[in-house]
Amino acid sequence: MTDPYVVLNVSSTATDEEIKKAYRDLARKYHPDNYHDNPLADLAQEKMKEINAAYDAIQKERSGRASAASSSARQSYGGGYGGYQYQQRTAYAGAPAFRQVRMAINRNDLAMAEQLLGQIADHDGEWNFLKGTISYRRGWVDEARQYYATACQMDPGNPEYRQALNFVENGEEGYRPSGYNVFSTGCGEDNLCGRMMCTYLMCNLCSCGGMRFFYC
Amino acid sequence: MFGYVRPSAQRLSEADKRRFAAAYCGLCRTLGERCGLAARFILNYDFVFLTALLWPAEAPAPLCRGCIAHPLRARGYFPANEALALAADESVILAWWQLQDALADPGRGKGKYRAAAGALSGAYRRARANRPAFDRGVREQLERLHRLEEARCPSLDESADAFAKILALAAGETADPVKSRVLEQLLYHLGRWIYLVDAADDLAEDFASGSYNPLIFRFALAEGRLTEEARGSLVRTLDHSIRLMSAAYELWDFGDWSPMIQATLYEGLFLVGRSVLEGTFHADSAALPRCRKDKEQL
Repeated sequence: MTDPYVVLNVSSTATDEEIKKAYRDLARKYHPDNYHDNPLADLAQEKMKEINAAYDAIQKERSGRASAASSSARQSYGGGYGGYQYQQRTAYAGAPAFRQVRMAINRNDLAMAEQLLGQIADHDGEWNFLKGTISYRRGWVDEARQYYATACQMDPGNPEYRQALNFVENGEEGYRPSGYNVFSTGCGEDNLCGRMMCTYLMCNLCSCGGMRFFYC
Repeated sequence: MFGYVRPSAQRLSEADKRRFAAAYCGLCRTLGERCGLAARFILNYDFVFLTALLWPAEAPAPLCRGCIAHPLRARGYFPANEALALAADESVILAWWQLQDALADPGRGKGKYRAAAGALSGAYRRARANRPAFDRGVREQLERLHRLEEARCPSLDESADAFAKILALAAGETADPVKSRVLEQLLYHLGRWIYLVDAADDLAEDFASGSYNPLIFRFALAEGRLTEEARGSLVRTLDHSIRLMSAAYELWDFGDWSPMIQATLYEGLFLVGRSVLEGTFHADSAALPRCRKDKEQL
């Protein structure tokens, strides 16, 4: 196994508090909420398992047993990881046609999912939600948001639809490293509006650099 | 490409800034060595970022020498490696096809594009010989984009998809399967973000000239600027692409380049996008007094 201290990026002489902080920071980074319907969610899940194992190993090494602190620290971040999407998809008890679409999405067979969806004439909330999910998996975020919004309008009480819409609409809630305070392209969310961009960005390294020589 | 992809300088240490500048100068030299002098004029920050993403685990340390742009003062630069070579070839191929696209666009003047294409033709032939698959992919996607433009496609995602796929192709052949997936996702959304930011940057000009711009059709704009509602939608979709890039970045260790990539994804792109939407991007980029100060620090 990889050195658990290396996995958590801490020194072997770090205090328990420092280790817990490192673990929480990493768990926040790879939290399932940051990889909702993301094509790389499986990689994030692997990271999370590695972090959990490293934290447990250090706790065990230091206390001689799996401490209660370990499980309580992990519950808030890693406990539900991996089961999240799986539970959502398999718990579905709607029409068989939609179930097939969901299964195709879970296999990441988006072409099949789209084909199956195209055979369904009733474009209800579920249809729009699944269409949005396919769009999102492809990286078509603008269309995904429109389909999710329609799904929410048609079925306002559905928490799964609402969660998906909130996720694409509230990008600022994602992980960002400590100290980074700019979290939206829009103005008004931080105090940098109206200041010179070049105060902050790397500009003009070379007399011919960064020039807009060509159209596009 | 466009020069929109920049790290936030305030987040970088002096060593990080020197490293970034050495990659920039290294890419300029590699362009010259592989594709000729004319190719050096297409250099911009976007491909320095690509170079950092593709950087090999083992690369020679920077050297120091004067160059044609800085004959009197020696500057640090990375000697050619596989990442610099790939980024150099791809930047020439992209610039060439963008020029061809501009020449085919009825809404634009042709003189400067013809001159640029003439100057770049030799460099393009060399780059195409080095990267035939990338050349083919770019041509196919730009042809697809051209068809979408002719059809006045109202979908932001569909038109951005063509350019996003070009950037995803830019990762080339990556041996590690995890790095390959990370780069594909990161570069797809970087391409999507660049395309949409550029559309916002060109909106007024495109509206006036009657050229295709996806924002005009997506938001049914009656004038050459975004309504509040359209701006809000665009901000959300740009933010989300940045978020997806960051999520992908966190799944691979980019070593010494991590601070620069982080400073780009978690701050630089937001600030550039904001500056473009405020209409101050080009004025800010030309604000040399402050930038020269940065440059002196390098």
